Amino acid sequence: MARHLSSLRPVYVVGVGWHRYQPPSETPYVALGLKAVRDALADARLEWPAVESTYVATARLGMACGRPMLRHLGALGRPLVHIENASASGSAAFRLACTEVAAGLSDVVLAVGVDKVSDRLRASSQIGLQSLTGSAIVPATHYALLMSEYAQRHKVRPEDIALVAVKNHRNGARNENAQRRKERTLEEVLGGKRVSGTLTSLQCTPIGEGAAAVIVASEDGVKRYGIDASRTIRVVASAANSEMVGHDENRDAAITQAAMAAAFAEAQIAPSDLDVVELHDAFTIEEIEYAEATGICQPGRFIPMLEEGAFDIGGKCAISPSGGLIAMGHPIGPTGLGQIGEITLQLRGEAGARQQPHARTGLAHMVGVGAVCYVHILQRV
Amino acid sequence: MTSAERHPLFVATGTEQVPDRPALVGGRCTCGHVFFPMQTYGCEKCGRYGGHLETTPLAGRGRLIAFAQVHLHARPEPKVPFTVVAVALDDGPIIRALLNPPVDPELRHGDVMVAEIVSVPREVGTRPTLRLTRNATGGR
Ligand SMILES: [Zn+2]
Repeated sequence: MARHLSSLRPVYVVGVGWHRYQPPSETPYVALGLKAVRDALADARLEWPAVESTYVATARLGMACGRPMLRHLGALGRPLVHIENASASGSAAFRLACTEVAAGLSDVVLAVGVDKVSDRLRASSQIGLQSLTGSAIVPATHYALLMSEYAQRHKVRPEDIALVAVKNHRNGARNENAQRRKERTLEEVLGGKRVSGTLTSLQCTPIGEGAAAVIVASEDGVKRYGIDASRTIRVVASAANSEMVGHDENRDAAITQAAMAAAFAEAQIAPSDLDVVELHDAFTIEEIEYAEATGICQPGRFIPMLEEGAFDIGGKCAISPSGGLIAMGHPIGPTGLGQIGEITLQLRGEAGARQQPHARTGLAHMVGVGAVCYVHILQRV
Repeated sequence: MTSAERHPLFVATGTEQVPDRPALVGGRCTCGHVFFPMQTYGCEKCGRYGGHLETTPLAGRGRLIAFAQVHLHARPEPKVPFTVVAVALDDGPIIRALLNPPVDPELRHGDVMVAEIVSVPREVGTRPTLRLTRNATGGR
């Protein structure tokens, strides 16, 4: 019978690193990626030859971006593979890196996400079927529609939903790797450019580039390289799924709910055990829908709890302490790995000005168009 | 719309239930699953394909479940502002389409929405396209 990741060899996050997420620039992707990998190696106090295998997450760079980047660390002949899974590319690379270690095929594995902005077409425009809307529905409008439905169902106002952005910009202002590092008042969020429906630009993730890297290791790897065990963070659940028939309108929340339930069952914890959570909050409404889908709060209860401070740093469960996709940014390939990095810092107690006190259990969640969903739960041992 | 420019997504002829509105070209699988648009690649519910999937007209009427007025759009068409609607068709599938007129301040969740064929400009001449509009005669 098939088994969970957590029933195989234990897997630990031992190193994390970033190249800051930022607006499109002239910096080549190679420089972005190398910065993140070297920082992750330094964080783990490992040398590059320790890394036995690499997963490169990218959605927009095109074919075979990994070798031209990794060779500058020393071309040692180790295997590498590229992972594209839309917004969840980094999460998919992380899951595969964990799987390789858990299965016993390697003791130290790198997952690195790197991306720059490009105008490459999505496959969904080439499926050979027409649609009534063509290219008229961009992601902001998809989520503006979900926002319209949620606002009607739970009788909430646009200014209630915008509070998510106020919280996430406040968190992002404390994160040196965030693309947006400025606190915003509710008036500023609501007064920004109107995008689609009741979404304003400060409630939408910015377009940008960057890199994030995570190194995972087995117990053997931790011992062999003398890695500081007090800074290792265990991966206690990994769940992944894709869209199910019958969820035409709110597929992202439906698959989130299913993946969350599978991850909680694997980790044998309840949503109330979570101290810190990173969600796919590319648009404010997403954080609300996904938080309710986790069971952290009941449907329709997110906004009252947000207003009470339950999801602030220092609250019951800090949500998007990094600033989330709204403030930290969403360069696509790196994003899911950046979430793992943030949870790792939080569980080590190394998150500085945005530290959630006494954080022991954290969760990272991404969806990608398609739709696909990933949930990982991490725990301080 | 002449037969020469038959559109793959809709037909001017209505269904028995909604005869005065254009119908959408949906599909039905032998398993009973109804979907839009029609395709023969395979059924999302059971995986049957090809001849198991048949064209079925879907009535051009449904209920509004969500709407969003688009203020910023990177492409020249459609021109902003325009409105995108999500409608649960009487015949089952949930579809998304553009609203006619592009902005309707009276639009409310639960409104009865109906299909209509409008001509939109293209490089040379015009082309027919399907839009949804609030049913002026129907209630909520
Ligand atoms: Zn079927």
